[in-house]
Amino acid sequence: MTAASQPGAPERRNYSMFDAEISGAVLNLALLRRLLKWLRPYRVTFGISAVLVLLASTLQVLMPIIISLVVIDHLIRGETDSLAPDLGMVELTEWLADILALHPLMAACLLYAGLQIAWAAAGHAHRMTLISSVINGLRDLRLDLFRHLETRPSSFYDRVAVGRVMTRVTNDIEALYELLRGLGSLIGEFMPFFVALAIMLAIDVELTLLLLLALPVMGSVTFYFRRATRRLFRMVRMSLSALNQNMQENLAGLQVVQLSERQQYNLDRYTKINEENRGHELRTTRFETLYGAFNDSMAHLALGVIIWYAGGAAVQEEMTLGAVILFTRFIDMLFHPIVVLGEQTNILFRAMASGERIFQALDWDEKIHEPADPVTLPPRLQGEVTFRHLNFAYDPDVQILHDVSFEIGAGEKLAIVGPTGSGKSTLIRLLGRFYEFDDGQIFLDGIDLNRIHTRDLRQRIGVVLQDFHIFSGTVFDNIALGDPRITRERAEEAARRVNAHGFISDLPRGYDTELSERGQNLSQGQRQLLAFARVLAADPEILVLDEATASIDTETELLIQDALRKLTAGRTSIIIAHRLQTIQEADRVLVLQGGRVVELGTHEELIASEGLYHTLHSLQFQDEG
Amino acid sequence: MIRSLIRLKSFLAPYRLRLGAGVGAFGIARFFEAMVPIFVAIGIDRMSAGNADMTTPLLGIAGAVIGRYVVVTYARYSVRCVGQHVAFDLRQALYESLQQQGVRFFTRYTIGDMMTRAVADIGLIQRLIAMGTILMVILVYATLVGFGFMLYLSPSLTLLLLPPLPLVFFYASWSARQMGVASRDVQNRLSDLGAHAQENLSGIRTIQAMVQEENEIRRFGRTNQQYANAFYRQSQINSLMAAWMPSLAAICSVTILGYGGYLVLDGAMTVGELVAFFMYVNMVVQPFRVAGFIVNLFQRAAVASDRLFEVITLSPEIADDPSGTTPATIRGDVEIRHLTFAYDEGIRPALDDVSLTVARGESVTIMGRVGSGKTTLLKQLVRLLDTPPGAVLIDGHDVRDYPLAQLRSQVAMVPQDAFLFGEPLGDNLTYDDPGRAVEKIWEAATSADLKETIEEFPEQLDTIVGERGVTLSGGQKQRATLARGLIRGAPVLILDDCFSSVDTETEEHILRELRRLRRRQTTILVSHRVSTARHSDRIVVMDAGRIVESGTHEELLARAGQYAELERIQREGAVDTDYDLIGATT
Repeated sequence: MTAASQPGAPERRNYSMFDAEISGAVLNLALLRRLLKWLRPYRVTFGISAVLVLLASTLQVLMPIIISLVVIDHLIRGETDSLAPDLGMVELTEWLADILALHPLMAACLLYAGLQIAWAAAGHAHRMTLISSVINGLRDLRLDLFRHLETRPSSFYDRVAVGRVMTRVTNDIEALYELLRGLGSLIGEFMPFFVALAIMLAIDVELTLLLLLALPVMGSVTFYFRRATRRLFRMVRMSLSALNQNMQENLAGLQVVQLSERQQYNLDRYTKINEENRGHELRTTRFETLYGAFNDSMAHLALGVIIWYAGGAAVQEEMTLGAVILFTRFIDMLFHPIVVLGEQTNILFRAMASGERIFQALDWDEKIHEPADPVTLPPRLQGEVTFRHLNFAYDPDVQILHDVSFEIGAGEKLAIVGPTGSGKSTLIRLLGRFYEFDDGQIFLDGIDLNRIHTRDLRQRIGVVLQDFHIFSGTVFDNIALGDPRITRERAEEAARRVNAHGFISDLPRGYDTELSERGQNLSQGQRQLLAFARVLAADPEILVLDEATASIDTETELLIQDALRKLTAGRTSIIIAHRLQTIQEADRVLVLQGGRVVELGTHEELIASEGLYHTLHSLQFQDEG
Repeated sequence: MIRSLIRLKSFLAPYRLRLGAGVGAFGIARFFEAMVPIFVAIGIDRMSAGNADMTTPLLGIAGAVIGRYVVVTYARYSVRCVGQHVAFDLRQALYESLQQQGVRFFTRYTIGDMMTRAVADIGLIQRLIAMGTILMVILVYATLVGFGFMLYLSPSLTLLLLPPLPLVFFYASWSARQMGVASRDVQNRLSDLGAHAQENLSGIRTIQAMVQEENEIRRFGRTNQQYANAFYRQSQINSLMAAWMPSLAAICSVTILGYGGYLVLDGAMTVGELVAFFMYVNMVVQPFRVAGFIVNLFQRAAVASDRLFEVITLSPEIADDPSGTTPATIRGDVEIRHLTFAYDEGIRPALDDVSLTVARGESVTIMGRVGSGKTTLLKQLVRLLDTPPGAVLIDGHDVRDYPLAQLRSQVAMVPQDAFLFGEPLGDNLTYDDPGRAVEKIWEAATSADLKETIEEFPEQLDTIVGERGVTLSGGQKQRATLARGLIRGAPVLILDDCFSSVDTETEEHILRELRRLRRRQTTILVSHRVSTARHSDRIVVMDAGRIVESGTHEELLARAGQYAELERIQREGAVDTDYDLIGATT
């Protein structure tokens, strides 16, 4: 889609989706299907893993058969007409005993050990193949999600909280890891369940069905328990986070607390929250412990049922003793999956909600539309900028810019002034095409901005924003920003010119000093100078600068003014100005009010015309000194 | 490790009966559990003998199961409750101790560190009691009871089963250590990932403006891959453990199968007993699987315990030791006598022989560049720092002789950092005395030029500020903290650079109010602006911890020193006021 066919008129989007908690998600098959798409490249590994789990499950079931049907029935009791399927284990034992010339009991032990080793190996291979395909799939999903978010436009980030968006990349993907790991262990539990069930049915249908009756009971108790504790857990979590928040805030404001002598009062409040939390914890514990031993007890009771039922059957020779014992050995395989399923449901529900949030972010298609056939820019632009009848609104109801038209000559320095909300920032954002516009035009050396690819455009415009961002990395990294053309010498030269070299040299490791995320180890003024160095090193044809309003100590202020002079020399510069000095040094001043250009001219001309600029100027600066 | 855990004794003492009862009950539960194989054996042997009467085995098993359920539930509940009570008490102790710490403490520790101790370390201790104790008790009892019953059935077979157990134990603790390392690695990689995403998305505008998207995606891809690798390694250790543990336990099973089978064939043992042996080995080996986890839990809890006691046992940073001879009401004469103060031994003192007298009713502005000692000086007046004896006097008495509560309520300080609590705005303004009348709040808000701001909020004084409520601008926050100071009407008011985010016009208004309200009271303030300082009775300029100039605006201009230089620079151009704010009012 081109900018022409897709008007940049703001669409109405529901950004609140990003704030809302998605909860109460149910098993969503469409979501799982979509998730599988990321596993597709690893389907061979995935398939191998599925074959391995079948193998491991069979081996796992064979071991109890050795104990009960081979050793007890065949070797000890000499049963010959057993109906229980031994899956060829009796013959195998005899064969082993024959060729190795061993006592059959020794052969059975050897077989048991062999099966154990084979089972362990197959199980390990199954788990690792499964996990590796999952890890790779989710790694790809996470990177795709990050790429998607990284390329959303400013209009998106204006409306959503970064923290919320970030948790999709971290916590939500993490929940999927948990989910897939959980599903993996469920497969590992359910496969032996089915194999064991088949053998039990072959031995005695009635007893098997009798034992299976316990499953719905365990299932519903587990389900009821999980549902009830979900609410309790939420209360615990909420009270715990209130507790932590209280402590965190108390620490952050400790000086105020002490200056106000509020320690006792605050301690009392904390005690109340702490007690509330303990109350929730104790209630949850009471509930949890009641459930805790329930499933074990059911498994033990089942042993009683087997003995009671088999007593009659064995005496009437309907069941061999070995078959009875086999049943007792299968109890765990029969009941354990339900226990694991119970443990996994919470993870499952959490992961469903996370999956929804991830795909919601991936489906968010807001973007800047690039032109179908972008213009190739010349190696060096003149730097002439023309705004023509530009109208703009972020929100269709609130028009920000009204019919803005003006021109900036190559190399000219233009200061923009005006009250808060007059549209100054919007104007420079549109110049970098951070938002789409179609009502009116902007030209760069006569080329329509909407016909230039944003990537090409932004390489020609150096932007210094007020909320200047420092990346973790060294000082040099922060100046070069990964641009291979910027050598160490070039970075240093730029820093020297904008008066940043001084403080950089004072840092412990000079240009190699690691800067922290938010640049906390630099002062406001130093960060500003570093931003200047970054722009100067990149040497863009056009400079756009939103002058910082925060107060900076007088000495640094002088350095900044000087650096700004060098930065703008011979370069088309557009500056949202807050300082008198900056305004006076500009070639022309543009006064914006309510999104309209109200005055444009040199400082002297505007003072002479006695308009809005004159009023602002006299209010602000005339009575100084 | 043991010594660190013994420190918890005093916190466990109040609950020792309940803990003891829980631990004892676990023993009884194991006994019930060990009865099940006995009745299974009886049943099987009866079948083997052709006797179909299963009443005894069935009732025996049912009885043992019910008995075990009741006792185990009771035991778990009591032990876990103890864990929760201890966590509660630890939190209280930590909170109380932290409230008495000051500047010196926060140069050594961060809030994040303290929160980790409050959340993760206390959580570990709770887990140690609630889970570690239970698992260890189960391990010990299961071994004792299981072997007891096995010895009773067949001493020779039982002795043959002993050798593999240490193997299981050592493998379990070894792999738990491996697991610990791998898990920490995963955690670290995960937080790297989070930090990377957070940093990136908060700087998204810069990244896009500088066309750095592809670069950043590549960098993120690397962090992402490192996480995947760490996760794979952890899974591998996990999976190997899941393969090895049952394999080691299988040594026991093979022994039972071989030697036990031989005993049965020999007629020395019944089939039922053989089956019971399999069940007992399971009972003994199962808890061993978590042996490594238990060791790990104990080690981590020991570290957590040390970290907690390090803070809980700290004494208050500023001793509150009033002499009892100080007046009940402060009038407002402040005298600083040859005050020298260093934050740490061996470093340049932050204050170097400072002497200053401020008479009641006087207003003094302190100026000077960053790090010249202004804030340090102000903090001495309210003992936020440990003021040396005899150096700071108020109404002729050493500040150390006043009760802390009196000193800080009558010498009101508004700190530089405009901190508001995430509570209603009104509560923030009357933070020191929640019982104040609403009129008082509005009066203070009016003086601090905050009235109109409050009136713009639909909830007015009930507006919650901060992350969970309305975000105030820097200037609004500063005016709110100013109001919080003004409302106290204290004989001495100290303002530490409280106008930096307030525009000059508003500042003028507030200063006029201050002069009107505080004509007979003492006001000391710090500022960078000449326009603020010029109105005060006296201006003091500090440099490198010393007072270098002192006098009225005119006197200092005439001296042509630092102050005069500042005045010239600020007059001639680089005016740090906000054009926007003025523009908006026209």
